[in-house]
Amino acid sequence: MTDLSNEQLLEIDYYLRLTRALEERLVALFRQAKVIGGLYRSLGQEGESVAAAYALDYKQGDVVQPLIRNIGAILVAGARPVDIIKQYMAKGDGPTRGRELNIHFGHPAKDGFIGQISMLGDMIPVMAGIALAGRMQKRKLVTLAFIGDGGSSTGAFWEGMNFASVQKLPMVVIVEDNGYAYSTPTSKQSAAKTLADKAYAFGCAGVTIDGNDVLLVHDTVKQAVERARNGEGVTLIEVKTFRMKGHAEHDNQAYVPKELIAEWEAKDAVVRFEKMLVERAVATQDQIAAIQQRVKKEIDDATDEADRAPMPNPADAGKGLFIEDGYWGSR
Amino acid sequence: MAIDVVMPQMGESIAEGTVSRWIKKVGDKVERDEPLLEISTDKVDAEIPSPASGTLVEILAQEGATVPVNSVVARLAAEGEEAKPETSNQKPEAAAPAPAPAPAPQPAPAPEAPSTQDSALSTPIPEPEAAEDENVASLDERRRTKSSPLVRKIAKENNVDISQIPGTGVSGRVTKNDILEFLEKPKPAAPPSTQQPAPGTAAKPKVAAGSRIEPLSVMRRSIAKHMIQSKQTSAHVTTVFEVDFTNIDKLRRQHKESYGDRGVKLTYLPFIVQAVIAGIREFPILNSSMDEANVVYHSDINIGIAVALEWGLIVPVLKGADELNILGVARTVNDLGDRARSKKLSPDEVQGGTFTITNPGIFGSLFGTPIINQPQVAILGVGGVKKRAVVVETKEGDVIAIRSMCYLALTFDHRLIDGAVADQFMAKVKATIEAGQFTM
Amino acid sequence: MPETTYIEAITQAMHEEMSRDERVFLIGEDVGVYGGAFKTSAGLIEKFGPERVVDTPISEIAIIGAASGAALMGMRPIAEMQFIDFITCGYDMLVNFAAMNSYLFGRACPIVVRGPAGGGTHGGPYHSLNPEAMFMNRPGLKIVAPGTAYDAKGLLKAAIRDDNPVLYIEHKYLYRRIKEDLPSDDYIVPIGKANVRRRGKDLTILTWGAMIYVAGDAADELAKDGVSAEVIDLRSILPFDEEAILESVAKTNRVIILHEAPLTGGAGAEFAARIAEKAFDYLDAPIKRIAALDVPTPYSPPLEAAALPDKARVVKAAREILAY
Repeated sequence: MTDLSNEQLLEIDYYLRLTRALEERLVALFRQAKVIGGLYRSLGQEGESVAAAYALDYKQGDVVQPLIRNIGAILVAGARPVDIIKQYMAKGDGPTRGRELNIHFGHPAKDGFIGQISMLGDMIPVMAGIALAGRMQKRKLVTLAFIGDGGSSTGAFWEGMNFASVQKLPMVVIVEDNGYAYSTPTSKQSAAKTLADKAYAFGCAGVTIDGNDVLLVHDTVKQAVERARNGEGVTLIEVKTFRMKGHAEHDNQAYVPKELIAEWEAKDAVVRFEKMLVERAVATQDQIAAIQQRVKKEIDDATDEADRAPMPNPADAGKGLFIEDGYWGSR
Repeated sequence: MAIDVVMPQMGESIAEGTVSRWIKKVGDKVERDEPLLEISTDKVDAEIPSPASGTLVEILAQEGATVPVNSVVARLAAEGEEAKPETSNQKPEAAAPAPAPAPAPQPAPAPEAPSTQDSALSTPIPEPEAAEDENVASLDERRRTKSSPLVRKIAKENNVDISQIPGTGVSGRVTKNDILEFLEKPKPAAPPSTQQPAPGTAAKPKVAAGSRIEPLSVMRRSIAKHMIQSKQTSAHVTTVFEVDFTNIDKLRRQHKESYGDRGVKLTYLPFIVQAVIAGIREFPILNSSMDEANVVYHSDINIGIAVALEWGLIVPVLKGADELNILGVARTVNDLGDRARSKKLSPDEVQGGTFTITNPGIFGSLFGTPIINQPQVAILGVGGVKKRAVVVETKEGDVIAIRSMCYLALTFDHRLIDGAVADQFMAKVKATIEAGQFTM
Repeated sequence: MPETTYIEAITQAMHEEMSRDERVFLIGEDVGVYGGAFKTSAGLIEKFGPERVVDTPISEIAIIGAASGAALMGMRPIAEMQFIDFITCGYDMLVNFAAMNSYLFGRACPIVVRGPAGGGTHGGPYHSLNPEAMFMNRPGLKIVAPGTAYDAKGLLKAAIRDDNPVLYIEHKYLYRRIKEDLPSDDYIVPIGKANVRRRGKDLTILTWGAMIYVAGDAADELAKDGVSAEVIDLRSILPFDEEAILESVAKTNRVIILHEAPLTGGAGAEFAARIAEKAFDYLDAPIKRIAALDVPTPYSPPLEAAALPDKARVVKAAREILAY
């Protein structure tokens, strides 16, 4: 079944709920004109984001790299909701001091996660490089990278996967087939039968699984992480899931058939997971409600703190281009 | 305090939104994040959640109204407050308010441009009529009269008209060499009638056999030119004061080591600089420039410090000296002097002086009668500081004491400054130095 | 050191830095077993092993991306582009990822990306690039271009020891044609400092890379007419030694900017604007730029020679501004 303890299962539920509540709050803040720029949800994908990240061992220096729909993954790695809200609100004392947006932050050597840059696929070679450095430093760290169906079409993805595979680097790559890349369905993205089939091209291991089954995702990733740690190379895990909202808050995804959305709503990973917890007497309804209460308070407190935070000082706009500027202090 | 509810920006290129339906009405209590209203934009429709818990007290944008992003559409009173709805002057622009509730979202109507605007925009703006006496000079003429930035600068500094100079460059342009050669040649204009030779023309020296002829360096030619021009511009008068530097000696002794530890040599100069600044504060006319009609009182106090070099003389400028303490002045003066001697000054550092201090005493002179550094109106010459026997008046009667004395000679421009003012300035300088109260 | 060629200076710098600091490693195509397409990394894999001299697939994106990721983890990679022309394949990773680490995230990404640049070797349009202007306008990257063996060694060491991403542009034409006696001690050439190769008073020639020798030849020719030209080797394109440039122009009042990359939008345009802005009052003639024609570098020798700058064009421009 699973070798996760009850405590761990409840912790996973906490992260699932934390992710969902944080994003709902971000949507509200967006509609209150407090979040600046675009807003992207991971509704429907919280399960695989949290489950995969939960399979890493951060004490060994493992590093996870999210994309926009993997907030859950960095929350598991230790990112703080207040920092994420400050990023979205462009505040001056957030992790990037207003210089970058979304979850583009994090130091792989210090935080256990590294946020992405906008060029899709670019993080794959970077994560390969992090894994390579770990090996050079005689450490046993494993890197976990997320990429989408759309991102897996880019040259950077191909070069990064190829390099990591031929080098047998300790890396696990989750390719999330969530149905659409903006308005492009996966069928227009690739002629391959499954995205995991790309593993044949790279000569690495590949597998396709139900992305809305939290335990299955966790166990599959855990095995791949162990393989990687043992020097057996890269695994490409395709998780089948669905993007329940549009590409971003401004997109109403009119191009997605309503039946498809309804079909996947019925398979929601979080609801499924909690149902399983109750059925197997891992948790009571009260305990689950308590987790949601705890999460709400945590998000409320984080919002208040972020609200009070100052905007950046315009005089700082030109600072910190080079390390010796000293703008960031010691990082 | 009331809390604003604003129209959000539902996408990067969206500039406005339409209120489709108010879910809550004025007087209703709302929870944080509870839906307040529905909006529609070009891209999406959305429910807007309340930014806080409280009571909806005022609706500013009615259903059907289209308003710019970030305009206030409603106000809440926070929980526990009784706020009156403020009649806001900032009603959002409603371009086309619809009649009675229209739940169907309306597309944002384009603002109507009044027809007068259209016609104004379509009428080309007439070219301003060229002034009749303006003739566009040909390129050749411009080269002849305007030359290059460098030549213009030299011409301005020396008060010459470029078009009077023969040019050997393109289009007959006056080149740098042309103007420098011109400036060395004798000039026809005569100074006020005295027996003195015309400016720039020394009587040609007789060359006896065995004499050595050396061409003058550029710097020497420049100094010569400056000196004689200064004498012909200002009415030079020098007043000399005897100043007791004994208290300064004390301070130097006290602080020499701690300054040395910081790599700073502590001379008399920083103290003199501060005393001059004190004098200038009381008598700002000493820190000015003049022409036939006006005197300009400079807002900055930039003290030039003359530095003797092996190959001539240079005057680096200490800027903003009034903001520095003794340590700051000493450090800056050391640095300027070092860099003057190693030729590392930037052009900026030898310009913009408003008062100059020079030190003839360094080689033993009692005092000098320095020449004013144009376009300033005064220059302070510092003599040597020497121990002398002086008469000191005490309560017990007159006694002879050994004090460190120094002659400070101020040359000033009597066109602008009268002797009484100059002397009062010097009295202030003297008093400041003798009191010995300095921020080290 | 006895006479050392420009390319040997680069090899030595890599050997010495890899011995001195175990975090330094080399990554690129054919750099290990083969010793590099030009033999620049000869002897490295024998001395330091395949873990530190990494042969990669043909993947400029992955080379630069992986080097950047490793740099975040504390390593100090040297990423080689077999020809600097191929940096265009990895442009995105360098400017969007590596160069933005400090400003956006406060992360140090100390990579050096190096590769042979420049024409004069009949390499054709894809093996002759001078890339500095392509990167000058993307903040966060330092750019250096040594023209002497001394500077090649000293600047590579400085680049490796710098905590920021550095684009190190070596010139293939100079590889084996330049020989110098180098000091045997560990020395660096600081990034951001120019070198006055030749002092003069009548005009300034501001240049870098292989063009410093063209400038020298032009100065020799002008000297026959009694004209003394000052030649400044910029060495660092970004940050550049503005003080040295302005000091020289203030002295000579005339300046020619000479670079091998094409004219329009070349790095020389930036220096020309800076001089016009800050040394306007010292100019006695218009600022001149001598650069390649605005075309891709052609292959056939007579075409290539016509496209690239040469001594005659520099001398002609000098005579024009002296007569202005």
